[in-house]
Amino acid sequence: MKAYPPKNAVKFLRWFCREDCVEEIEGDLTEIFENEYGRSIRKANRKFVLRVIKYFRPEFIKSFRSNHQSNHQAMFRHNFLLTYRNFLRYKSSFLINLVGLSTGLACTFLIYLWVSDELTVDKFMEKDHRLFRAMEHRVRATGIWTSPTTPGPLAEALVGDRPEVEYAITATWPQLYTLSLNDKIITATGRFAGKDFFKMFSYELIAGDANQVLADKNSVVISDVLARKLFNTIENVVGKSIDYQHESQLMISGIFRSMPVNASDQFEFVGSFEKYKEGQDWLLSWGNTGTQTLVLLKPGTNVDEFNAKIADYIKVKTKNEITYRTLFLKGYAENYLYGKYENGAQVGGRITYVKLFSVIAIFILLIACINFMNLSTARASRRVKEVGIKKAIGAARKALVFQYLSESMLMSFLSLFVAMLLVYISLSQFNVITGKHLVFELDRNRIFLFLGVTVFTGLVAGSYPALYLSGFNPATVLKGKLNSSFSELMARKGLVVFQFAISILFIVSVLVVYKQIEFVQSSNLGYNKNNLIYFNLDGALSNVKTQETMIEEMKKIPGIESVSSTNHNMTGHNGGTSGVEWPGKNTEDRTEFERMTVNYDLIETLGMQMGQGRSFSRAFGTDSSAIIFNQKGIDFMGLTDPIGKVVKLWGQDRHIIGVVKDFHYESLHENFKPVFLILEPNNTYRIMARIAVGKEKETISSVERLYKKLNPGFSFEYNFLDTVYQSQYENEQRVAVLSKYFAGLAILISCLGLFGLAAFTAERRLKEIGIRKVLGSSELGIVYLLSGDFTKIVFVAILIALPISYIVARYWLEDFAFKVQLQVWYFMAAGILAMMIAWLTVGVQAIRAARVNPTQCLKNE
Amino acid sequence: MIQHTLGEFEELVLLMVAALHDEAYGVIILEGLEEKLKKKINISAVHVALKRLSDKGFLKSRYGGITTDRGGRRKKYYSITALGKKMLDNQYSLRTSIYKQIPKISFG
Repeated sequence: MKAYPPKNAVKFLRWFCREDCVEEIEGDLTEIFENEYGRSIRKANRKFVLRVIKYFRPEFIKSFRSNHQSNHQAMFRHNFLLTYRNFLRYKSSFLINLVGLSTGLACTFLIYLWVSDELTVDKFMEKDHRLFRAMEHRVRATGIWTSPTTPGPLAEALVGDRPEVEYAITATWPQLYTLSLNDKIITATGRFAGKDFFKMFSYELIAGDANQVLADKNSVVISDVLARKLFNTIENVVGKSIDYQHESQLMISGIFRSMPVNASDQFEFVGSFEKYKEGQDWLLSWGNTGTQTLVLLKPGTNVDEFNAKIADYIKVKTKNEITYRTLFLKGYAENYLYGKYENGAQVGGRITYVKLFSVIAIFILLIACINFMNLSTARASRRVKEVGIKKAIGAARKALVFQYLSESMLMSFLSLFVAMLLVYISLSQFNVITGKHLVFELDRNRIFLFLGVTVFTGLVAGSYPALYLSGFNPATVLKGKLNSSFSELMARKGLVVFQFAISILFIVSVLVVYKQIEFVQSSNLGYNKNNLIYFNLDGALSNVKTQETMIEEMKKIPGIESVSSTNHNMTGHNGGTSGVEWPGKNTEDRTEFERMTVNYDLIETLGMQMGQGRSFSRAFGTDSSAIIFNQKGIDFMGLTDPIGKVVKLWGQDRHIIGVVKDFHYESLHENFKPVFLILEPNNTYRIMARIAVGKEKETISSVERLYKKLNPGFSFEYNFLDTVYQSQYENEQRVAVLSKYFAGLAILISCLGLFGLAAFTAERRLKEIGIRKVLGSSELGIVYLLSGDFTKIVFVAILIALPISYIVARYWLEDFAFKVQLQVWYFMAAGILAMMIAWLTVGVQAIRAARVNPTQCLKNE
Repeated sequence: MIQHTLGEFEELVLLMVAALHDEAYGVIILEGLEEKLKKKINISAVHVALKRLSDKGFLKSRYGGITTDRGGRRKKYYSITALGKKMLDNQYSLRTSIYKQIPKISFG
């Protein structure tokens, strides 16, 4: 029987003992053990263990500070050198990777800057999580409509009734007003708010006490910028008076620092709401809305529970008179990103675009990573010998993985620098497109994030080649066999398909977005928006007499074709009422009709078409009790043969004199809605005038002179209706421009990848091409041979991408009530475009390969 | 030059190696010493002494062949170097010369 010493003891000995002693010691110990074994096994075992332990002393313990450290460094230098040589040797791959990865990274960084800016809008408020805006869901026949306007008495009532409320104030929306100091006249954006405004919102007060600044009815708090404009200084401004709208004096009680650009509410002064309330009796009723109510809840209040309590608040307050309005609070900062409601449910808003662009950023980065993966695995065949030899002389797989990862890491860090440069250069242009004020500042978070993204990119891009290349079997590789397995080829092709599918998706998106914008701009609005200017009736012009004079005088200016006045700005919902009654009306129906108060000639000035009946006319004395509906309104009421019929508006009889054809007073996102027009010149707020084409400049200066004469002290602020109309589609325009750039980039990067692959394939098959040519193949045949493979790949990409892009396009267009019809050719065009680009890319390589002289490539070997 | 010294146990081990002449390896040395000293000695003590003696240049070593004994581990044979021999000679003559100086008278 053979005796074996205790295994663990031997293991332990071998682990700690120096290499030059271990054999001797182990041998001697074993010999003694064998001698003792005959006498007593247990004793022998025990003694062996004890003896081993006695060797655990400095003389025999090996140095565990092995020379690994220096080895790592050497390996690192070695890898670095190899990478560098590879870059030099394969310049085209290197450039393709550099361009691809750096543009991908730059794209991602730009989008990150934009997204992070979007996400921080309004978040700078100290009490952000306790700040809310009251909103209302209103039930209408066509569904629930959600509005940010609330009744005037709400704020005060909430503070009195609900202990959870710390402060609640009523405030107006920022708007332009005229301020003046002596003969200095300034138009400034301002708003009016309750006295606790500065206690709720952390706008920084440079001068004044937050508790006091709005306590007095005639006080006003101005921004430091406005103070400098008015007084050229911010010193000793508090206590001075300024003229407001040339009608009253306001005393400056404080100065606040201008809010950061990422605040959704931008204003230069805040007046006391008491001042605004003066003479505006409608603000006292629960039935009217038009201002906003801002609420600061006490710490620890659960807003959902609070909302449940106040849901029927308006019903209770009006003693069951108004039953269709549900009150709720919404986070003040949330409104910017989550501002869209559909039938009472929150359905996105700007957050949709934030998400969309984040996804785009990731996809573009992925495409760039795929390039790197594809090129390196394709190039693998050139490096298999290197891998084989390294493995044969004992390189562990780990070391090889490390080598390829460090190579891709180096690549991605190089790209990072180029990307930074690109971001730096393109940021100002990007700001113009997105309408932002992004700055490229590197704080700690951003540095971490950028480094993180870069490392991630390096890992993703390098992972596949690293794992793939290091997995070769050295024996087969050195024998010269490298069988590209079916799955591996599929993987590479799959990646190209993915790239092209995304590119095609981008192309379709660009096409659809542009077509829709073109449609929006060219579609018939039901009136003519071109060459139409409008300006508000402020100051002296709010007097009906002066207004009449203004209109009469304007008509005499040669460039003016037509002029009138209205309350409506034609670019959005201005105000409505459910106070229209008609025979057969359902008493529960709260549908609001859009209200347009007009002067004579407005319908003609705007160029609306009458469907039936007539427009308001001075020839009839009875038009002050007349009413005109749009077609939608007539359809809604279900009136047949409407002319001459009588409906009630706010309880008064009105006879219908005409039906105007449906027109768009809101953006094309919205469907037609019922509208009525009544003749009330004293309730119009703005003059609209059509100007003869080509005479805009002199006509406007004539109007301005007239305006200055009739309304001294106010500056003439006018707008062209079509410009304002365009601004309704600001988001869409931005998406259009951005998606154009992104599509371009995606295609560029994909093509770079394809170019690299094609070049590689051509090189690998050079001998085959040579033999084919010797055997009589034509150049065209070879081009066909080489591009056929890629054609198939791109074709598969097209097949995959088109259905997806159809769904995406449909989804985007759903937002519009009026939209272009998706036509087959958009998709065909995108597909053909992608195919053409791919052919062009591959073709260049294929032709070059096909024209090779067969003797050249067959000569050596 | 560093003047190396010999500890008592080291001297014994060195003597034993010299005595065993070319056949000395760990276990044999241990057994020889145990027999002469009539007491149990720890093998690790022998190895420490061997290592130190080698470091001081008094011993040189070589590996024997692989056998089936000892778990297939080779024996490490030690033999004394010229320096080691000189050291032993020095020690011996030093001790003898002092020994000779002991006056006979002392023991009556």
